[in-house]
Amino acid sequence: MSRSAASASGARLDLLDPLEVSRLGGLEVVTEGVVEGFLTGLHRSPRRGFSVEFAEHRMYQPGDDLRYVDWKILGRNDRLYVKQFEEETNLRAMMVLDISRSMAWTGAPDRVLPKLAYAQRLIAALSLVLLRQRDATGLIAFDDEVRAVLPPRALLSHWRQFIQTLAALSAGSGTAAEPALRRVVEQLRRRGLVVFVSDLLLDRTLALKALRFLRHRGHQVVVLHILDPAELTLAGPAEARFEDPETRAAVVLRPRDWAGAYRETVQHVVGEWRLACRRHGIHYHKVTTDTPYGLVLRETLAQGSRTG
Amino acid sequence: MIGFLHPWALLGLGAAAIPILLHLLARREPPTVVFPAVRYLITTTQEHRRRLKLQNLLLLLVRTLLVIVLVLAAAGPQVPLSGVPGHAPSALVLVVDNSPSSATVDGGSARLGHLVAAGREVLERATPNDALWLLTADGVPLRGDVGQLGDQLRELQVSARRMDLGEALRLAGEVLGTQARPGEIVLLTDLQASAVSAAEVAVPLVVGRPSAPPPPNAGISLLDTGAQPWSGEGGRVVVALAGDSGTAVPVSARIGDRGARQALAHVGGAATIMLPAVSPGWWTVEAELAADELRLDDRRVGAVRVAPVARLGWDSTSRFVATAAGVLEANRRIVRGAEVSFGTLAQGTSIVSPPADAAEVGALNRALAARGVAWGYGALTLDPAFTDSGPVVGRTRVMRRYRLQPSGSGRTGVLATVAGDPWLVRSGDVLLLGSRLDPEWTDLPVSTDFMPFMDLLVNRLARGEVTLADGAPGDPVPLPDQVTRVRQGEREWPVEGGGFFRPPDLGAYYLLVADDTVGAIAANVDPRESLLAPAPDDQVRQLWQEARVVEPAEAGDLVFSAGALGDLRGPLLWAALGLFLLELVLATLWRRVR
Repeated sequence: MSRSAASASGARLDLLDPLEVSRLGGLEVVTEGVVEGFLTGLHRSPRRGFSVEFAEHRMYQPGDDLRYVDWKILGRNDRLYVKQFEEETNLRAMMVLDISRSMAWTGAPDRVLPKLAYAQRLIAALSLVLLRQRDATGLIAFDDEVRAVLPPRALLSHWRQFIQTLAALSAGSGTAAEPALRRVVEQLRRRGLVVFVSDLLLDRTLALKALRFLRHRGHQVVVLHILDPAELTLAGPAEARFEDPETRAAVVLRPRDWAGAYRETVQHVVGEWRLACRRHGIHYHKVTTDTPYGLVLRETLAQGSRTG
Repeated sequence: MIGFLHPWALLGLGAAAIPILLHLLARREPPTVVFPAVRYLITTTQEHRRRLKLQNLLLLLVRTLLVIVLVLAAAGPQVPLSGVPGHAPSALVLVVDNSPSSATVDGGSARLGHLVAAGREVLERATPNDALWLLTADGVPLRGDVGQLGDQLRELQVSARRMDLGEALRLAGEVLGTQARPGEIVLLTDLQASAVSAAEVAVPLVVGRPSAPPPPNAGISLLDTGAQPWSGEGGRVVVALAGDSGTAVPVSARIGDRGARQALAHVGGAATIMLPAVSPGWWTVEAELAADELRLDDRRVGAVRVAPVARLGWDSTSRFVATAAGVLEANRRIVRGAEVSFGTLAQGTSIVSPPADAAEVGALNRALAARGVAWGYGALTLDPAFTDSGPVVGRTRVMRRYRLQPSGSGRTGVLATVAGDPWLVRSGDVLLLGSRLDPEWTDLPVSTDFMPFMDLLVNRLARGEVTLADGAPGDPVPLPDQVTRVRQGEREWPVEGGGFFRPPDLGAYYLLVADDTVGAIAANVDPRESLLAPAPDDQVRQLWQEARVVEPAEAGDLVFSAGALGDLRGPLLWAALGLFLLELVLATLWRRVR
């Protein structure tokens, strides 16, 4: 799908079903479509500054920096105008993506994207939005070790490299978030935004410890807990052997007998994550893979704007 | 025992394995489902697995029970139950205690009347398919249908015979033992403690007995006419009383049709009454009490032989015989004469003891044979032995004795034995003693039994008379060898000598050899019948494990409990419904909880 096609249809891709959106084209194209849709629903930032991109002119006022006086207008009209540029961002964001094997799972391949595919598109959209705001965006992908690191850059040309790196990622094996989160410190020397995207099927204590460390360094931390809808409610044959794709741990049970208790357990786990994150100033969002990207972007960027 | 209308349906019990099989089959290797959030499942199951396991087991149990109950209901189970209408064909022995004590008047009528009424109620519960017996004090189980046994009951009279209840139950058990159908016994009795004895009762037993205490009673337990025969000067009788009445009661006694003599006696005590002289012969003596609630034990009879005392000649060389004869003479139990000769074989009646010198035995045997005596002396035995206790002599040690040998076929006339061997025999008018009446031969001369033995020997045995016998109606009384008939008033019974005679009623019976009266039997109520105190219910239950003790009128409600069948299909179907609802509730509830 091209941008024009998306526009022609009149649909906002950020509000469509993620699986349908993914069927419209490649990661880059779809992401642009999503972001276009998303941005049309947003107002531009009213803040103006003396950045590198010209925004408009205004009358000179005493105290203005003479460097920004437009001498050409003064020459032509004999009036003092100063150039006003779009505000230069100081936000540096790092996307930390869990690419463990469990992320490659979907409970309904024909209806719901795998968690990893959903997360890739979500991060791509998020990054594009940030880049368009001149925010530097980087990427760290990990499974049981760090697999990819892309330092944060604010250039639009960085977008292509970002999207290539993201698209090249495939599901790994286990999950070890702590080393990846600690690598963020190396990439974000100033205060910034860390978006941690994972299904959180990992060592919660270690992960929280690393996230708390990032908060301690002054970073705004957003945790996007990616959940497949099929992980919220237990279903399956009358009796089945449920096997963890990462650890191969298995348990035999009858889903009908355990559905209620399992639902309570998931709610409890989500509640524990939410509570633990809130306690440490971390923004936690439960994101199911059938949630339109736009909704998630809005939630996430709301945290980012507050940071900026 | 449980029975089934459709036993083939029990094959369906195999279906009870279905839930278990399903459970086991379901436990086969299930399909593998890749699921990232297994850690959540593990957390969940760790918390609930034990509870779920219990729930599953309970559900499995309920479902299995449901199948079993349904199959059992289809098989139509029937179990013996009391108080349900109808019963399976059964065998019943109705034991009605019409012993003398049942004549006790209680509440204006004899207790037997209450027992008979209760017995008829029991019979009314029977069906034509039941096998019924009636057992009374006569000890003969009588089989019949409801009508026949009802008639028997209606005509049932108080028997003079005692009824041992344990014996009656054993007999009833033997009768039922021949029956394949479920059996039971109903015993209707006044439950005298003296009549209760242990018995193994293998079938249900209902004991109907009046719970009201019996009235006070006094009865004659003994009429002792003393040593026989009486002389022409009259004699005395001792009348002993038994029962539970504490007051002194007047006792009267008479001989023949002479006037009665009276005395006072207490229960547990005795009164001695002198009776007037009568002519020689056999006389009936009667003792009687004032009437009370039980009349049968208020009269007792005895027989007395009145005759001149024996005119005895004895061998004065035998010191102990001579001393005893002197004592008897001094007491006017004998006079010196030649009617009976003691010690040697004489022309008339002779009581022969073996000679001291063994060399004379051969001559004595030849003389006995020449006299036509059917017995002779055999070998001398020096092995100490004891006389076999009997009416003639009690248990006494015998150190030396000659074996008495019959000369012809058979051995009639044995009066006493030692270790089974004849020791005192009679043949015609000759009595042979196996031992000399000397302490070197036997302890008898130095025992207290010696004087009664001598009196008996010279006054009765030597004169061809037998011991007077006492017995209760129906009890077997041994008869002397020569007896051919038994007579009571105008009634006569031909008998076989050496056999037994069972007196059918109360009264005195005379034993005849040809036309001579040689003895008598006094048939009286068993003295234990005077003791009306009932056995405690606990003792009854202890002795007869299966017994249920109730009022006689309640026996009918409990009868045929062994054959009474309750249809369990209804309760089983209700149970199945209950189990089904339980399964439904549990499964739904637990599913919601999960």
